[in-house]
Amino acid sequence: MPRPGFVLEVDERTPPLIVHEGEGYRMQKFPLGTRVIYPPDALPGLRDLGAQIRHALLHPVGDSKPLPELLFAGMKLTIAVDDISLPLPPMVTPDIRQRILEHVIELAARAGVEDLEIVVATALHRRMTAEEIRRMVGERVYRSFWPKALYNLDAEDTANMTIVGQTDQGETVQMHTRSATSDLIVYVNINLVAMDGGWKSTAIGLAGYESLKHHHNVNTMLHSKSYMDPRPGHSAINDSTTRMGHVLRDKGVKIFQIESTLNSETFPSQLSFLNKREWEWSAKDQAVMMAAKKGNDLAPPRVRREFFRRIEAPYKVTGINAGEVEEVHRRTLENLHRQQLVEVRGQADIAIFGIPYVGPYNVNSILNPILVHCLGLGYLFNMYRNQPIVREGGVSILYHPVPWEFHTIHHPSYIDFFEEVLADTTDPKEIEARYEERYARDPWYVHLYRTSHAYHGVHPFYMWYWGAHGRDHSGDVIFVGGEPKSVARLGYRRADSLRDALEMAKDTVGSSPKITYFHAPPIMIADVR
Amino acid sequence: MGARSELREMARGFRWGRRPMVPRSAEPYAEEAFDEGFPTDWARTEVGIAARQTILNGVMHPLVRSQVSMRVYGLDNLADVRGPVLFYSNHSSHLDATLIMSTLPDRFQRKTAVGAARDYFFDVWWRQAFTALVYGAFPIDRAKGGRGSIDKARELVRAGWSIVVFPEGTRSMDGHMQRFRHGSSRLALELNIGLVPIAIVGAFQAMPKGKWWPREGRPVVTVRYGRPLYPDQGETHQQLSLRMQHAVSLLFDEDRTTWWASLQHAERDETPSLLGSPGPAWRRAWEGSRPVPRRGRPRAWE
Repeated sequence: MPRPGFVLEVDERTPPLIVHEGEGYRMQKFPLGTRVIYPPDALPGLRDLGAQIRHALLHPVGDSKPLPELLFAGMKLTIAVDDISLPLPPMVTPDIRQRILEHVIELAARAGVEDLEIVVATALHRRMTAEEIRRMVGERVYRSFWPKALYNLDAEDTANMTIVGQTDQGETVQMHTRSATSDLIVYVNINLVAMDGGWKSTAIGLAGYESLKHHHNVNTMLHSKSYMDPRPGHSAINDSTTRMGHVLRDKGVKIFQIESTLNSETFPSQLSFLNKREWEWSAKDQAVMMAAKKGNDLAPPRVRREFFRRIEAPYKVTGINAGEVEEVHRRTLENLHRQQLVEVRGQADIAIFGIPYVGPYNVNSILNPILVHCLGLGYLFNMYRNQPIVREGGVSILYHPVPWEFHTIHHPSYIDFFEEVLADTTDPKEIEARYEERYARDPWYVHLYRTSHAYHGVHPFYMWYWGAHGRDHSGDVIFVGGEPKSVARLGYRRADSLRDALEMAKDTVGSSPKITYFHAPPIMIADVR
Repeated sequence: MGARSELREMARGFRWGRRPMVPRSAEPYAEEAFDEGFPTDWARTEVGIAARQTILNGVMHPLVRSQVSMRVYGLDNLADVRGPVLFYSNHSSHLDATLIMSTLPDRFQRKTAVGAARDYFFDVWWRQAFTALVYGAFPIDRAKGGRGSIDKARELVRAGWSIVVFPEGTRSMDGHMQRFRHGSSRLALELNIGLVPIAIVGAFQAMPKGKWWPREGRPVVTVRYGRPLYPDQGETHQQLSLRMQHAVSLLFDEDRTTWWASLQHAERDETPSLLGSPGPAWRRAWEGSRPVPRRGRPRAWE
């Protein structure tokens, strides 16, 4: 039985602790009494994964028939898969999606299905490249279906997007036409964080702007406390997605959901010290850490980025569930919480987060300042249940160099958002009211989204809204080691060291604050009581 | 940060060359059951006692006398005392235990054991063996509130052993006395035994924390035994701890002035506190390390 997560209290025996900061990390000595939240140790992976997948498909949960009984000759079958934003970092091949796809396709072939298409549920994310798709689905699937029957969703292809209906609260439910008109959608998911999966897979993954604007907005985000806690009433975005899912169900869209959960083995064996607790580092771990750190610090940025880009996570699968969406997702969350939940008593005056090099939107790309904001105040800040790690009006301290740097192909609208919108205002509500529509409808961004590999024009807005709750909740946000100009553009403050940041935080939280350091990655959820 | 300072930070933080330690809150949960660790009972057998007295009186006492100018007062206060009792004193130096053990009258010295910090004195075998043999010591767990150690102390007292404890829990950093912890007062209350206060004056000046040998020039060190205290009916351990602290202050005052003057000070509630002034750390250290004046006729070259 792996050890559960726990909260360490820094004492004089505690060694310096590792803090991620973009494409690098530092060893940080924390003040005595600082609480440090550690994730549980990695759960063991499922043995004989192939048999487990087969078992899940043949013994679905909830109100669903086994997959072979849902497949028949002459049917229209669409398989949708999660895109490159999952998992993080990309897992070693074979990807779990490939493993599942091969089983599903095998069953379809046996049932005599001919009309089969596989769609990558990108929604407004960038199109995946052919190479990325090949890596994800494996050679066999790729060669059989690419590019005609294996493709990225194009949510701006109005001819191929359908309005399925409206929720009782007037939210438009839009969906990829092929999927909506199929006899069956099989959705292949990876559930890395609690926000993934469930109705989000189909109601968001296969939708476009007309649908997304109803829940990807400031008001919803401010009422999602947190969006990583999908219990009804806790997350407005999840509630909205569920309403949309129910519309899909009521309109007769048939979905066979397959969800998988991964353990927390995030880093490969060469960097295994990143998966361990510092006081358990062997002499070898310490030596490797120092050598890697020194090499990384001295390496040119291009080499450093390439080094991190090549990291593949040796994730192991901890659970597979298939069948009816809600029951599948309930079991998935149970599995996920087994790996990620850590109980924490009481909130802190100061929460500290180290922002790692990769988030959902910069795989094979650059973590630009807006994504830094999203990963820090969006993702990491929201990794809680019940109440945030930091009290309302407390201070969030984030580690990241925040370079003024963008990927021109992947994030063109981000550049303009940063230069035009944030230069004008950082207030999410004002940004939403004044700029969102224009960026969302801009024909050039739409063109790049459809034909290049660009995130949709509205995507940087969503990233900004994603951090709205964290921003609203924190009395002050300080970036340790951040580039002054870009941090100022984001509307935050910066410090050279933790000591300076704590000194600055005194204005807000007094001179003897309770400090909590959220020691992630690996990913976890703090259950703050 | 330069490579050298990073390396230094790592060496310090990860305790290179020393025993690796797990942060206290990360230690695996253990049942309350007290881990005796290194066995010490052998040091309290007849053979152990004989060996200890030989070492204390034949080696340690002459050695300490050769390095410090030792004065012992107040042993007459022990004349009517029957053991077992708790000897306690202020704690500012590694000399303290040796000073007490080597100046105790023979009938007490035979059956007295010292409570020694487990994390410091009971870490490597040779230190454990030395501490157990020379001081008849048993380990006290400072981190866990000493609960397990109280069991051992209780067992020893019941077997007729007196115990030497330092209720401050650790040596003073600046020569001033620190607040007393309540373990010894709880024990005295529970077993209804006497507490003999001892003031050790000058040990901090002679060999403060961080030094392993007394400084040159045979500094003066005074060991002053006081009258035993006995727990009162209905007294709480907090009250008893305060009374214990006050008794040591009285002995210090007696050492500084006279017995009569100290009694008058006590009567007027003017006994100087040993806790020192609340000022900055350097002032406390400065005051605490002020050399102890020699008594009597100054030597020719002074």
